[in-house]
Amino acid sequence: MAAIVAFLGAWQLSGLFLNPIFLSTPLAILRAFLEIVADGTLVRAFLGSLEEMVLGLAAATLLGFGLGILMGRSRLAQRTFEPFVNFFNATPTIALLPLMEIWFGTDIRARVAFIVIICVWTLVINALSGVRNVSRGYADVGIAFGLDPFARTWKIFVPAAMPYLIAGMRVALAQATVGMVLGGQEVGESGLGGLTERYGSFFETDHLIAAIISSTALALLLFGMLRICQYRLFPWITATAAERR
Amino acid sequence: MNVKPLLEIRHLSHTYETKRRRVEALRDINLEVRAGEFMSLVGPSGCGKTTLLRIINGLTPHSEGSVVLDGVELRGVSRDMGFVFQDINLLPWRSVVRNVEIGLEARGLGARERRRQALNALRLVGLEEEAEAPPYTLSGGMQQRVGVARALAVEPKVLLMDEPFGHLDNFTRESLQIEISKLCTELGMTVVFVTHDVDEAIFLSDRIALFHSSPGRLARIIDVDLPRPRWQFNVRAHPLAIRLRELIVSELDVRRGLAI
Repeated sequence: MAAIVAFLGAWQLSGLFLNPIFLSTPLAILRAFLEIVADGTLVRAFLGSLEEMVLGLAAATLLGFGLGILMGRSRLAQRTFEPFVNFFNATPTIALLPLMEIWFGTDIRARVAFIVIICVWTLVINALSGVRNVSRGYADVGIAFGLDPFARTWKIFVPAAMPYLIAGMRVALAQATVGMVLGGQEVGESGLGGLTERYGSFFETDHLIAAIISSTALALLLFGMLRICQYRLFPWITATAAERR
Repeated sequence: MNVKPLLEIRHLSHTYETKRRRVEALRDINLEVRAGEFMSLVGPSGCGKTTLLRIINGLTPHSEGSVVLDGVELRGVSRDMGFVFQDINLLPWRSVVRNVEIGLEARGLGARERRRQALNALRLVGLEEEAEAPPYTLSGGMQQRVGVARALAVEPKVLLMDEPFGHLDNFTRESLQIEISKLCTELGMTVVFVTHDVDEAIFLSDRIALFHSSPGRLARIIDVDLPRPRWQFNVRAHPLAIRLRELIVSELDVRRGLAI
């Protein structure tokens, strides 16, 4: 806490020597922040970006976990899809942004699609390794008590893989945030990404930093929600973590 | 005593391949387990006793021979057996009672009926009170009692137990041995019990099947004609128990370094 206060103080003092275009100061940023909150610009951008993040992450989770779990449970599916997954995971997905624009136009659909494409591979790979790393003992319970392969997937493998799934979502969330900002900057100048693009090109550094911090806040909000979900829905993950280690 | 065997293992052999070699795990096992009997499989590590138990249940497929339950040759996993694992393997994302329900879910019972049978099984092991608790909040001994309840809930014809008390401390182990002995007598349960603890086998069993290793084969079967109930006297000090222990230990030939 003291470190943060000292940091902010030093930053504020640096304003006496530095051109405000270069770094601006905490108080100027606060002023800019309040200004764009008051005129509704920031709130609109924040909600727009939040919507894109939620849609993109939801779609990526569905697709990524679906494919990853399928690959984890079926050798055939793994052999079929693994080359594609590896190919796309190795592709710098940022390069796919123009393609998303060509496919989906220059509106929210392209931005959501870009968020999906940037984080879905992480989710596939985590779901796959989660399912593959389910302990033999849990798998045996499913077999010994007569569950069919489908029931074993839902009742044993998916819950047992949950720590991997959640770890995957955490990484995917960070990737999706990059996708959200970049999509906002490049596709129709919208949301928080659009704000950073606009303020940057007008050298309004105080507003720019306010928009950057808001993007961070959005990501932190989602991280927090993910954590709350984990504690509420899967308290056993934390409770048994020491044991599994 | 009922002479008709409930469970028969006929000319059962099992070989498997690793990357480097072929391993003969079990050679020509012939074994009959009578209805209501408590049979232990005892032998040194690597004698294939756990593999045999897994084969009986269908968890591990076997190469040759057959497992026959009630006159019917088994294919795949049997619905008429309950399995108790050494590692217990309770699912941490399910409450105690939902763990006990898992075998009933596979048998297509309705939610209400499942709950009723699961609570009954928990009552048998004295853990009805813990039904809603997460399993990881229970002690090791209590967790394994849940493991037993889970196996009993499916109303099995045969209860298969794979070194169920192997990971527990001495005191817990002894009290669970007594409890299992009582429970199985009460229910008239047919049990196949794997252990490497000779005293445990003598305390619990009607008969003990001794195994040799490399390849795993049945050495001999020993009758344990100790009176029951056995928790009412010191079994270990009983002259017959001492003689049986000598017999088993010499048969397994501990002196040659084949640890029991």
